[in-house]
Amino acid sequence: MKILVCISCVPDTTSKIVIDPATSQISSQGLTFIVGPYDDYALSRAIELKESHSAEVIVLHVGTAESEPLIRKCLALGADSAVRIDGNPISSNQIASAIVDYVKANPVDLILMGKESIDYNSGIVHGLVAGALGYVHFNPVMHLDMIADGLHLTVEMDGGKMEVNCTLPAVLGCQEPIAEWKIPSMRGIMTARTKEILILPLGSPSEVQLVKADIAETARKNKMIIADEAEQLIDLLRTETNVL
Amino acid sequence: MKKVAILAQTKEGQLSEQTKQLISFVSAFHPEQIKLFIIGDVKFSTVPSSVPVDLIQLSADLYADSESVDTIANGLDNFSVFGIKSIQIDNMLSLLAANTKKDMISGIQTLSYSSDKFSISKSIFSGKASLELSTSTASFFSINRNFDFSRISEYSELAFKSSSSIEKTNTNKASIVSILPITGSIPLPDAAIVVGAGRGLKDPGNWTIVEDLAKALGAATACSKPVSDLNWRPHHEHVGQTGVKISPNLYIACGISGAIQHLAGVNGSRIVVVINNDPEAPFFKHADYGIVGDVNDILPRLTKKLQSH
Repeated sequence: MKILVCISCVPDTTSKIVIDPATSQISSQGLTFIVGPYDDYALSRAIELKESHSAEVIVLHVGTAESEPLIRKCLALGADSAVRIDGNPISSNQIASAIVDYVKANPVDLILMGKESIDYNSGIVHGLVAGALGYVHFNPVMHLDMIADGLHLTVEMDGGKMEVNCTLPAVLGCQEPIAEWKIPSMRGIMTARTKEILILPLGSPSEVQLVKADIAETARKNKMIIADEAEQLIDLLRTETNVL
Repeated sequence: MKKVAILAQTKEGQLSEQTKQLISFVSAFHPEQIKLFIIGDVKFSTVPSSVPVDLIQLSADLYADSESVDTIANGLDNFSVFGIKSIQIDNMLSLLAANTKKDMISGIQTLSYSSDKFSISKSIFSGKASLELSTSTASFFSINRNFDFSRISEYSELAFKSSSSIEKTNTNKASIVSILPITGSIPLPDAAIVVGAGRGLKDPGNWTIVEDLAKALGAATACSKPVSDLNWRPHHEHVGQTGVKISPNLYIACGISGAIQHLAGVNGSRIVVVINNDPEAPFFKHADYGIVGDVNDILPRLTKKLQSH
């Protein structure tokens, strides 16, 4: 069985986001990049399935060469090979098209990725990929097990969760607790050095045009209430802010 | 935008306030037609629109989302399709967008349309920043729950022009084993008031003071990641970067220090109250109201005050 894990490379969750005045876009200066946390869960589950069901795990990233250390980290965790679709995508549609083109030429059984990337928070790439390929789609998946003729999943839904059985091929958006994040072993890091990263060109340009990015400033009141008069809070919420 | 479709869910047969506002918002662009696709029961016969609306009911068990997409996509050519962000709406919209070979944009905070071009601002980095973009090709739009509909002009309630339904296509690719609805509490993403608690509660047995306060406020309960990792509370209550993201009118954080990952999940809250015994807790910098004190003392007092009048 072939599993394709699509990863985003995103600024670390603790990053301070800054706008580059020259381009009016988010500046990547001084940011530390990580594999998207949800994608990391998806990859961890794929590695577990590799061990339990001798699956082949391929990592795919749409992005620039700057992401290669993070792709190597995925290989060090146990992915067998990697593909980098070279370019600087600016929309979910562009990323989804790149994944779809790859899968049409290189069929896989299961496509896993995080439920969303934590930079642009769109959360639609898995749906766009599944819709274009006509594959089964579930999102966000919290548990994933192989069964005789497909998958057994626990999927979050609006106002609850459900357990489903489905056939392959499938595209799944993943979230915790599907697996625990893993740390590469020294042996993994050594063998990752010689694993292949195939580089392919990014196809069609984006039709969506970026105008500019802005930092959202939420002004808070920062009003302190002394503990002895805590009850005063209720009055303030009723009169000053009308939220009660 | 000559033809517009809206994909919406109902709860107990009714549309959410945001969906009603979305209908009147798009009708203000004077499309020739609005197709309203509803997942779930329909116990209403009018909608707030200035143009005729056709109702198309989809069977409520569309959980295996990919199954009925072909049927629904059929007839959406040249439509601009909108929905209010939720798990199912985003899943369906993205499948439909790909099926009809159209672009989709999600997380929309503001949207305007002129000369065949959409100008959109989208929330990014969990609300820490926003991105302005323009497109003349995208036709699928997922609108954030806290979208500013305040500029909607007057509208009247209009009866449906026509009504039809689409049954689920069973392709045998997926089957539901069981559904476990969250019962007995207000679902987090819908809640107007949320009381969240963290490790400062010291013990899961102390959660009753959080639940009592939430009950007195008519609020949903939430927790920080360490608390759900410790299995003190179920995972679906975990609010933060990798959990649920909420944007209630009021968020009360009890015994939560305010790690940046937690803030990422609550940035969208209108008013934030922080109660913590550590005056150095970083959360106080992001609070509208702060109380330095022991949650075990403060919470029952707040509950009592609410119950007294």
